[in-house]
Amino acid sequence: MKISNLFVLIFAVSIFLLNSPFAASQDKELLGAGATFPYVLYSKMFDAYYKETGVKVNYQSIGSGGGIRQLKEKTVDFGASDAFLSDAQLKEFDAQVLHIPIALGAVVITYNLPGNPELKLTPDVIADIFLGKIKKWNDPRITSLNPELKLPNMNITVVHRSDGSGTTFVFVDYLSKVSKEWETKVGRGTSVAWPVGLGGKGNEGVTGLVKQTPGSIGYVELIYAKQNKLPVALVKNKSGKFIKPDLSSITIAGAVNVPEDTRISITDTDAPDGYPISSYTWILVYKEQNYKNRSLERAKQLVKLLWWMIHDGQKYNEPLDYAKLPDNVVKLGEKIIKSITYNGKPVYKEVGIK
Amino acid sequence: MTKYELRIIKSKVISVILTFITIVSTFPFLLVLYFIMKNGISVINWEFLTSLPKPVGEPGGGILNAIIGTAILVTIALILSVPFGILAGIYLAERSETKIAFISRLVSEILQGVPSIVIGIIAYLWVVKPIGYFSALSGGVALGIIMLPLVIKSTEEILKLIPHELKEASLALGVPYYKTILKVMIPAGLSGILTGVLTGIARIAGETAPLLFTAFGNPFLSFNILKPISALPLLIFTYAISPYENWWAKAWGASCILVFFVLSLNIITRLISTRR
Repeated sequence: MKISNLFVLIFAVSIFLLNSPFAASQDKELLGAGATFPYVLYSKMFDAYYKETGVKVNYQSIGSGGGIRQLKEKTVDFGASDAFLSDAQLKEFDAQVLHIPIALGAVVITYNLPGNPELKLTPDVIADIFLGKIKKWNDPRITSLNPELKLPNMNITVVHRSDGSGTTFVFVDYLSKVSKEWETKVGRGTSVAWPVGLGGKGNEGVTGLVKQTPGSIGYVELIYAKQNKLPVALVKNKSGKFIKPDLSSITIAGAVNVPEDTRISITDTDAPDGYPISSYTWILVYKEQNYKNRSLERAKQLVKLLWWMIHDGQKYNEPLDYAKLPDNVVKLGEKIIKSITYNGKPVYKEVGIK
Repeated sequence: MTKYELRIIKSKVISVILTFITIVSTFPFLLVLYFIMKNGISVINWEFLTSLPKPVGEPGGGILNAIIGTAILVTIALILSVPFGILAGIYLAERSETKIAFISRLVSEILQGVPSIVIGIIAYLWVVKPIGYFSALSGGVALGIIMLPLVIKSTEEILKLIPHELKEASLALGVPYYKTILKVMIPAGLSGILTGVLTGIARIAGETAPLLFTAFGNPFLSFNILKPISALPLLIFTYAISPYENWWAKAWGASCILVFFVLSLNIITRLISTRR
């Protein structure tokens, strides 16, 4: 064995690898990161998109907080979040960021109780459970709402998110609207100081914890509870009705006047049959795509993908219990996608979108 | 006499205790192996090894992306750490008294103690941010840094063990110094150096933390070292915390593959070093 030759070989191989076609960026690949709330949907959409177009969209569900952060660092092509950026947050970016709505979902209250009963809960009871003031499942405030159920004398274990999360934002945004105490004590944010409970990473982690912990209660996107056969609570909305989170009650909650930039919170809806903890979920991109030496090709791929997601991609929403975008919101989405530019020129014209 | 007997009894009792504790200390490993075999073996089949993951919540699919990813990451780490590690090891062995040797030995020992997650963050700052993308390369850099001190240490130790006479004989015959190192010393210590490299691979193949913000993961098959890539430990981490039972099963299967890979590396290492 000639060691000197070995070194030469290793050196040659590394030079080869760096210059080989393997390393050349062919821009047949896009990278996104963020929300776990729409992860089930995106993972299906991008699988289908790969089969249709051969473009690989690598989506990593690291939480909305992480998605926003990585977009700011410009390490991803798009971020994803179910918490829209506030005006203050938008100012922290050095360029304009666009919100493109993709789907509507619901944050559901799920729990692990013997026999998987269907609970009815009111906003104040939910707030007090997550504040740690209601400690037992047979607390009179829960049993009086569910007289037909026999609830066990069991401690309630609260499960919440440990990472920066849009799902958390939607949930605490709702609690802040319905409970003064929540608003002053805990408040809003993608991660908040939880008074009680265990933390799980991502919607996946919270679902996993609830599934494995008898007596626990947590909040996740509807599809996670459904796929794992966990029960979900009916929540009393503003009109006094107990609403089960499903496609129709989410769709009803989403049918509102949406502003031009689509940044809207639809929690605590006025609609009599709307589920009160529903939310839009967005993809976040930079308006001007020529940053950090990005190629025009990459910008084109991104615009094509987004266009596909709000049109053809929508057919994957309902089978996975995410509501489709209402027509007026699709129109707004089109307008926003058309405003994406490369060197100041609109990109959509280059990819054959009219 | 009785005092003598007492000492024999004492000695016997202690040796029984020691034997017992030695046996007990192998239990954790045996239990790990047992659980991984029990849960993992049944998952492994042709589809599992040769196909890509399915969308979340759908049954079927495999972990080909992660197997290829780990192979690529380890290769990059090897390319980066082995040449530097061996050369530095030679220097430390040959010039062990100099100040530079003292400092670099100290630094490499400290580097070995740096938590791997910290090395991950460093690779993020050094590679991901300047390139602007998560990439296999950045993951390989992180793993290479972790492996570097292991290669340096094993090369240095093995070269120091080689009898001085060998080197002196070579020099006395008029062989130039660099040739003495390359053609006499290194071949003599080759099995030891190889052992160090293999131990290093076994160490980095299972690292998760340094890959979280470098290799980043990829549900598709990727050979591009400038793009994100999947890896076995990353996949195990994501699948294990998920709520899906078929993902748990896949995490067991992937753990099984990883453990067997590392185990066989360790066995090969053993064979090489006993043959020496």
